[in-house]
Amino acid sequence: MNEKHLFAVTALFDTPDEIIHAAHETTSAGYTRFDINTPYPVHGMDKAMGLKQSRLGVFALVFGLLGATSSVLFMTWVTLIDYPLVIGGKPFWSWPAFVPVAFEITVLLASVLSVVTMIVLYFKFPNNSHPLHDTPYMKKVSSNKFGICIQADDPTFNQKAVEEFLAKVGGKEIGPVFFDLEDLDHGQHIFDPKFIGVLALTAILVSGGTYFTFNKLLYMEPFSWMSAQAKLKAQRPSDLFTDGIGMRRPVEGTVARGFLPYPFKGKPDEAAKNLVNPLLPTKEVIDRGKTKFLTYCSPCHGNFARGDSRLAGQFPNPPTLHSDKVRNWPDGSIYHVITEGQNVMPSYASQISRDDRWAIIQYIRVLQRAHNAKESDLK
Amino acid sequence: MSTAALDYTRELPVVEGSPTAAEVDATIAAPLDQFPSRMWWIIFSIALSFFSIGVFCIGMTLYKGLGLWGVNQPVSWGFDIVNFVFWVGIGHAGTLISAILFLLRQRWRTGIARFAEAMTIFAVMCAGLFPLLHTGREWLPMYLSPYPNQHGLWVNFTSPLLWDVFAVSTYFTVSLVFWYVGLIPDLATLRDRTTNKIKKVIYSLFSLGWRHSNRHWQHYERAYLILAGFATPLVLSVHTIVSFDFAVSVIPGWHTTIFPPYFVAGAVFSGFAMVQNVLIFVRQAFNLKHIITLDHLEKMNKVMILTGSMVGYAYAMEMFIAWYGGNQFERFVFLNRALGPYAWAYWTMVSCNVIFPQLFWFKKIRRSIPAMFIIGITVNIGMWFERFVIIVTSLSRDFLPSSWGHYTPTFYDVGILLGSFGLFFTLILIFVRVLPVVSISELKAVIEGGQPSKH
Amino acid sequence: MSNESKYWKSLRELHDKDAVGELKAHEFMDGVTDDFKMSELSGMSRKQFLALLTASAAFAAAGCSNYRDRGEIVPYTRKPEEVTPGVPNFYASTCTGCEQSCGILVKTREGRPIKLDGNPDHPINQGKICATGQGSVLNLYDPNRLRGPEYGSSSGKSGTLTWKQADADITRLLDECAKTTKEIALVLHSVHSPTAAKVLSDVSAKYPTTRLYVYDLFNDANRRRAWQLSYGSTEIPSISWEKAKIVLALESDFLGTEGMTIEQVRRFTNGRDIMKSKDFNRLYCIEGAMSLTGANADYRLRLNPSQQLGLLLALINEIGLVRKKGSLKGTIPVQASGASLLQFANQHSLPVEVLNHLADDLSANVGRSIVLAGDVLPVEVHVAVNYLNEMLGNSALYEEKKSVSYSDHSTPSQLESLVARMKSGQVGVVVHVGTNPVFQLPKEFGYEEALKRVAVSISLVESTDETSRFCAYVLPANHALESWGDFNVRTGVYSFQQPVIAPLYDTRQKEAVLLSWIQGKDSFHETLYHEYLMTHWEKTIFPTLNRSVDFKSFWYASLHDGVVAASDHSTEPSRFKSDSLSTAIPVATDGYVIGLTRNFYISDGTFANNGWLQELPHPISKVVWDNYASISTRTAKELGVDNNDRVEISLPHGKQTVPVFIQPGQADGYVSIEMGYGRTNAGPIGSDVGVDVGGLLSKASIAGARVVPGAKIVKASGQYELVTTQEHHSLDDTFVKELHLKREIIREGTLRQYEKDPTFLHHEKKELFNIAHDVEYNGVKWAMSIDLNKCTGCNACVAGCNVENNIPVVGKEQVQRGREMQWIRLDRYYAGTPDNPSLSHQPMLCQHCDNAPCENVCPVVATNHSPDGLNQMVYNRCVGTKYCSNNCPYKVRRFNFFNWRDNLAEGYYEQEPISLMHNPEVTVRSRGVMEKCTFCVQRIADARQHATEQGRPLKGSDVKTACQEACPATAIVFGDMNDPKSDISLYRAHDLGYHVLEDTNARPNVTYLAKLRNIHSENLT
Repeated sequence: MNEKHLFAVTALFDTPDEIIHAAHETTSAGYTRFDINTPYPVHGMDKAMGLKQSRLGVFALVFGLLGATSSVLFMTWVTLIDYPLVIGGKPFWSWPAFVPVAFEITVLLASVLSVVTMIVLYFKFPNNSHPLHDTPYMKKVSSNKFGICIQADDPTFNQKAVEEFLAKVGGKEIGPVFFDLEDLDHGQHIFDPKFIGVLALTAILVSGGTYFTFNKLLYMEPFSWMSAQAKLKAQRPSDLFTDGIGMRRPVEGTVARGFLPYPFKGKPDEAAKNLVNPLLPTKEVIDRGKTKFLTYCSPCHGNFARGDSRLAGQFPNPPTLHSDKVRNWPDGSIYHVITEGQNVMPSYASQISRDDRWAIIQYIRVLQRAHNAKESDLK
Repeated sequence: MSTAALDYTRELPVVEGSPTAAEVDATIAAPLDQFPSRMWWIIFSIALSFFSIGVFCIGMTLYKGLGLWGVNQPVSWGFDIVNFVFWVGIGHAGTLISAILFLLRQRWRTGIARFAEAMTIFAVMCAGLFPLLHTGREWLPMYLSPYPNQHGLWVNFTSPLLWDVFAVSTYFTVSLVFWYVGLIPDLATLRDRTTNKIKKVIYSLFSLGWRHSNRHWQHYERAYLILAGFATPLVLSVHTIVSFDFAVSVIPGWHTTIFPPYFVAGAVFSGFAMVQNVLIFVRQAFNLKHIITLDHLEKMNKVMILTGSMVGYAYAMEMFIAWYGGNQFERFVFLNRALGPYAWAYWTMVSCNVIFPQLFWFKKIRRSIPAMFIIGITVNIGMWFERFVIIVTSLSRDFLPSSWGHYTPTFYDVGILLGSFGLFFTLILIFVRVLPVVSISELKAVIEGGQPSKH
Repeated sequence: MSNESKYWKSLRELHDKDAVGELKAHEFMDGVTDDFKMSELSGMSRKQFLALLTASAAFAAAGCSNYRDRGEIVPYTRKPEEVTPGVPNFYASTCTGCEQSCGILVKTREGRPIKLDGNPDHPINQGKICATGQGSVLNLYDPNRLRGPEYGSSSGKSGTLTWKQADADITRLLDECAKTTKEIALVLHSVHSPTAAKVLSDVSAKYPTTRLYVYDLFNDANRRRAWQLSYGSTEIPSISWEKAKIVLALESDFLGTEGMTIEQVRRFTNGRDIMKSKDFNRLYCIEGAMSLTGANADYRLRLNPSQQLGLLLALINEIGLVRKKGSLKGTIPVQASGASLLQFANQHSLPVEVLNHLADDLSANVGRSIVLAGDVLPVEVHVAVNYLNEMLGNSALYEEKKSVSYSDHSTPSQLESLVARMKSGQVGVVVHVGTNPVFQLPKEFGYEEALKRVAVSISLVESTDETSRFCAYVLPANHALESWGDFNVRTGVYSFQQPVIAPLYDTRQKEAVLLSWIQGKDSFHETLYHEYLMTHWEKTIFPTLNRSVDFKSFWYASLHDGVVAASDHSTEPSRFKSDSLSTAIPVATDGYVIGLTRNFYISDGTFANNGWLQELPHPISKVVWDNYASISTRTAKELGVDNNDRVEISLPHGKQTVPVFIQPGQADGYVSIEMGYGRTNAGPIGSDVGVDVGGLLSKASIAGARVVPGAKIVKASGQYELVTTQEHHSLDDTFVKELHLKREIIREGTLRQYEKDPTFLHHEKKELFNIAHDVEYNGVKWAMSIDLNKCTGCNACVAGCNVENNIPVVGKEQVQRGREMQWIRLDRYYAGTPDNPSLSHQPMLCQHCDNAPCENVCPVVATNHSPDGLNQMVYNRCVGTKYCSNNCPYKVRRFNFFNWRDNLAEGYYEQEPISLMHNPEVTVRSRGVMEKCTFCVQRIADARQHATEQGRPLKGSDVKTACQEACPATAIVFGDMNDPKSDISLYRAHDLGYHVLEDTNARPNVTYLAKLRNIHSENLT
């Protein structure tokens, strides 16, 4: 059983003139905790109640300025700092183009935030409860009566005196309004679990919907993100071929531009005889040879071609390239070995381009010379 | 009130007769309390079937692609953008009536403002549909919002289409807020009237605990003023920015500085015509003839003469500038409009927008419901064709004769246009059944004896 | 710091050794190891876990796979030396699209051909090929190709069979024929390959009853026969075009469809290169149908082709007798004397002053001019042309190199007797070696009926056609890119063909199939013809070349280069027989004259199922996907028809209903129709495209003139929509007339005007200003220039671009709606009157404007400017507002209104083989995306990568765009405009250079060089 507390004493009036008069009287009688309820705004009521001007305008100004400056700064940052792009030959910071967006943001923030401020700050949303709700008084002021309501928490409140006062100023249907203590709540309800619950539910629905939309729905046929392309990139499979491999081998016996077949297949002697290094030992060539040597040859032959590689012992040991045999080989022989392979060494033809092979040979010659430097080399 | 007795020198009463506040409540809330009539259901099902045609066409467009439409190279924009500009234009009347007439203290706006605002919102919803649909990849609208994509790329702030995104969404939001703020006291009144429990919960929820308290009224009125203050430049800006879609481009016939004022005038023109058309039915259907009076309609017709003449002036001025400017491309475009393959559209536009509305100079026509209804419809047809003429004729024959083309709409184009009308009227029909079509509190404030006598 | 820590991984390790030591001991970070206690681990091994993980991942993937797998890679197990994934290879080969047999370079990626271009080492086509050649790569991947041998309808069986079965059956049948001395008929196109000719002689040797029938739908038989009459040889020399100051083309489309077009275009336009010389050649064209040659002529007169002989006689008379010029020893033929040029001009309302100019020019350029007659004209005209050329001493321009042929065309009577024998059952086996006589032979022969009576008919084709429909065996042949071969169309020039991919399906090379039949059971193996070719060369041809290297080296080097130059046969210069002309007299005819001409792109119907080629706009009419009857405005009025009406054309041997197209510049009373269209069994793309006018061909015309007089034409009922890519604007309508000149889209002048005042184009200085500062481009900035003096309008650039950039085919219906997708197009403008229009071509592509209007308006920055001055398009950022296209003054942007590959012919081009053809370096655009020319940005990126690899700055000359590479006239120049020494800088600064629509201040980066017409007056018109 809830205890009934007195909230206020109310009275109703029939015409706007009467309620203005009553408001005046109430103000002059010194009541401060009172309210006028009218179905529509009655002109002159603010003055009659002695209310100060609404400060909402100040909020609107602040929000508007906030919108204007933030949007301009944002666009400036985007176009000037974060990702400058030449668009239509215009300067990066094309401020005249920012005007429309800045204007819209200003209006949007100023108007929407002002209303939100009003609702939250002045109407105390989401707190909807009030003792006056669902009273006969409320039903009437909602329609065609004008009401005054002097609250019990007014410092000079005295139920009897108030009722008499109201009767004096012409009020009708004077009566008290009670409230349940439990319902008494003037505070903000933004942190009310129910309210938060509703917000959370909304958040879940919205984010779930968003997740579904962005991760599932939009990837369904027929929507295309162009990730599946009707073309065959390197190393991709293809169903057209029975082996499923998209990359095909060139037809036997054909010659691609720049790839004349190696004429000395299995003929090391002829290679030695006929092949001549087309590259001169310039710095560029040797540098290139060094890079390629370190990439392809050094794992076995060692960084300095001594046959002392990091793989030593795991395979039959690769030979040093500083042996007399190799030193006395013509370039063509080395080329042949790189191209065809020898013993355990496989062919490096598909890894090392033809020019690179010759460059490597030049580098090997440098290494050999360095390893067996003669007196004269120091000069 | 007889026509002959009209005296324009005196301010007319906003409401005919002197209904009491309680009567106002009863009249306006009546449609909300009754079960809809058969006529309503018939009209509603027609609207709904139009809407479903639109839904079908939209679905097919999403599934197959824009190729279903008549758009091509060079006419890459067709019905889609025509409809967009058309609906945004319709959407101008509401906020204009609410905001600008409010600031101008035009009390006659009271009877029609709420309805016009609702129409604004619905029209902007219809309008918003088209920019989304007209993109080739309708599943990527989020690319238009300013966030950096995976490559850090932002949106282009120099593109009028982006301005559109901001303008239309802001306009929609602010109009919605404006409309809702206006509804709060009425929802409270409805809450206190209703005996239905479910309705009560809903009204309670949306009336935000409104108690008609004067301490709230004070802020409320200020907020309303602020909104009106902001909405006024906003309403002018929206169609200005929509006109930038064309004015900022280089295409002859689009590249014109006259567009912003001309578009705004045209928007108001068509918006008023649409509001007038629909109100004629609403006042009839819901016995609101004394609240939405013939005087109101007449005033709207007067606004239409004004804006229609502005539009006519703009047409003439375009022609003049094209000739006087001496740019051969420009000249050609305007000659082509009047004499080329789309001349029929041009002359439809001119007659509907410039010639017919001039009949409103006659008081008899201005105050005749059937006449104004027909003229209102022609205005809307004309304004639709205005956008068609601007968009299609300019694109179909631009700089290089080699790439001239012809635009022919398809079933899907027409279907989506019908669908947008279906959506619009479906929403309006629902609106008139669930919310007060006239602002109760505002109306009470302006009936005779509604304000203190000394004030 | 301790001495031990010489090397450290991080500053922390360097300074805080203890902490790091601790970390190292635990290996894992705090928290990672906390839950990681061995004792608590489950008994599952890592392998088991991985297996489970894989399984569950597979289930998950199968259960909710929204999008296709994008991760699988399949590398080579043994990488071929020449292939590097992602890097293209090039193979020299030979194009078999037509009888020109151009040398090509095939670009392959990972062993798959993706693009064809000319082989720069080839002496005839020198790095260029035509549009058909460019587009022919699509035929390799055409999903309509046969994938294995099939039974045809007349076998009484259906379904597929194996090669083994087919070979067994056929060799048995052939042997039977040999025994019963029934004829074995091989129906072929003309043979240009020495080794193929050897195969055929081998077949004849093995089966003595073999007879060869050779025909070509389009041929130069008349020219050859005339040459035979005039010079006693059918080998026609090539012409020194560079020396020809005056060219007179009589119904001869040497710039479009006749002869060695690639070579002719190159050598002819070389004489119109303003950067080299102001001494242009002058082209007169007198023709009935508007051809590309007529479109590019300095003077073009229209004349009904039936009157060409009269004109020639009048010219001979005028020059030889009246002016007494020319050096002909011999008599002027009787019928020429007294044929007055003036009278002829008046009779056919030709402008006298132009004919006088012509006579003057020819007389003044003795030995420096050339007269050509078209393939469609009768032998007498060709003989008269030979006579005129001889008279003018133009035989000085005949080169030593001559045409070579390994087969003679069958005469109409031979074909007639074939048909008769087929009907009477004397032919046991008929083999169609890549031929389609049911479609291509004149219907008058009744080949189809005859074929149905032959017991065994074999079709050796790439895909089913009208002939294979009636055959017993339909055997799939290799595509040219899967074949070996050698070609020799000009003395001393051998061109090799090598396969660039193993056969995609169970197909065999035609020559190998024939060989396997004569070599007996199961003799076929993959390298059969390869070996045969090598042997033939080694044994027969190589010894005649007198090379010092061994055969192997020669062979590989030749394959590498693609061509072998042999020393010329030292044949005696032919002697002209001056009496050859004596009998010819012009005859008057009544009725309409029908000309059955060669189409531009689909050849004799072979390329009908090639969407790219069907969609290439006709260079003159811009009609796509159709042929039609071209008529003049006056003829249209006479017949009471308009565009898209249909007419019925009746000739004694057949009739056909054809849609009508009113062609400005068409001669009155002359109706020209292109052949090769109207195939009925060409595949989903090519069937029922256009009208088959084979019924109008007479038996005689297969080896003779395809200009047929005496036709009756009446209007037929019904309409037929012809679709053009360019709206047809009336030339009479002053409202739109010559807008391209008024708007300075096309700027032209005359050579004389230019000589007098080189800067005549820029007298009106326009001042354009920006309110903002121009963006500065340092480094390379790309630009293009197009020389309108050289551009002939042949569409090779369009075809090249299509292949390079994965341009989709949209189909006729979509082109009708204005949705064609080609990134570069050839705009054609008419000026003047409908009777005597002057034509201008203009390749139009994205202009890559500095102040690009498209960029401003894109809300999502999907199009913006690159630092090297490209207007670039970010496909996957595009949402498809189409605003950029609206705002493009040049309307060069293209929108994917549908997924085009899916939309056309029930997803025909969405099938697997097509994806193999697409350039892997270019995005395949989805629906809803805007696209446009990128200046081949993938090639730029490639060149930049190469330059970076080689450690040098990127040069403008490193990049060639696809259109530039394709242009046979080298009208397109591309490069770095910031490099003052580059070609492009010279072109940009040239007096004739201009930009289209300069007024918009978009600052395009494509410079056009104004066209100069080499006419006698200083002013145009």
